[in-house]
Amino acid sequence: MNEYPDAVAAIANDYLERVKAHLRLVPASEQEDFLREIQSHLYEAYDRTPGSDDVARILAVLRGFGAPAEVVSDRLPQAMVRSGTGRKLPLYIAGGLLVALFGLPLGAGGFGVLVGLLAALAGLLVAYYAVAGSLLLTGAITLMLGLTRLIAPEVWDKLVRIGVIHLDGPAQFLERLSASDEALIVMALGAMLLAGGWGLLKLGTNMIRGLRFLFNLVFDWMRRFAQEIRRRLRGTEPEKPALLVAKRA
Amino acid sequence: MEYPDENKDENRDRRITQLRKGILELAVMGVLFHERHYGYSLVRVLTESGSISIKEGTIYPILARLDRDGLVRSEWVESDQGPPRKYYTLTPLGRQAFNELSQEFDLLVSLAQRHWTEQSKSKLAVRKG
Repeated sequence: MNEYPDAVAAIANDYLERVKAHLRLVPASEQEDFLREIQSHLYEAYDRTPGSDDVARILAVLRGFGAPAEVVSDRLPQAMVRSGTGRKLPLYIAGGLLVALFGLPLGAGGFGVLVGLLAALAGLLVAYYAVAGSLLLTGAITLMLGLTRLIAPEVWDKLVRIGVIHLDGPAQFLERLSASDEALIVMALGAMLLAGGWGLLKLGTNMIRGLRFLFNLVFDWMRRFAQEIRRRLRGTEPEKPALLVAKRA
Repeated sequence: MEYPDENKDENRDRRITQLRKGILELAVMGVLFHERHYGYSLVRVLTESGSISIKEGTIYPILARLDRDGLVRSEWVESDQGPPRKYYTLTPLGRQAFNELSQEFDLLVSLAQRHWTEQSKSKLAVRKG
């Protein structure tokens, strides 16, 4: 018997959805019970309203029933708190006290640790990319100098003479080599530095992906933990209640 | 201060609505005092016998308030004419509250309808003085 024509069911469902939207802060079991009661009323009123136009009948019923906000006015948690008889009120008070006494100090400490960790990671990341950038820059310059030694040895000599290039310490052996060998070794060194910088950059991309995954994992876990606490405080079920109005097949 | 006619009508309607809303809770308890009802049947009784014009949905905040205060209890009953119905019954606490509120209401009605003679007014004036 609990069946509407499709058009009527759509209108009634829309109204119930609007009522439900006003009840989002009400525990799910209470929501379901109230929506079921409203549905029962609407169905009976519709059934007893005379007329051949189904849509006109349900619209007349809804006009006479009133706006969703009026219908739920005393079902909202604020009203329950004002009257001091909210069933979950003691739980909220206990939760508030626990948060005030323990949560805030621990929360502040946790916040500090989190900020410190993030700052350390950010510093590590900057340092890492600075090293990679330095290697790339040094490699590029070294490669250019090797090319200079090969293509324009007079420029190389001039640079050595004015002190831009120092061939001291381990690099002294280069002076004993021919110009072409010297150029090849310098270019090989530059290429190695470039390869090292490029490798660090590639590794950095993977590292960022890994860190992003780690952050997402931690934040997702925190979000689900907070949702679970909220659900327990409200005493609601995670499942979404089904629509109440049945449609005619 | 003079108000335009339409404002007078609006103010009058607003006052009547406020008065009805205030009395509606008592009227609901009065109907439930004699027999159990579900939302729709309660509205029908109130609107047909009492010539009260209300939005039908406004009965539910009242029933929710009474339920929360322990003045009514409710139960779902299957119906062969449609979906199940949620019936409300006045609890012993509700009956006691209704009796007290009825007395208070009678007092207010008698006060509102009392013929204020010059004598009673002068008595009040003496008491105030």
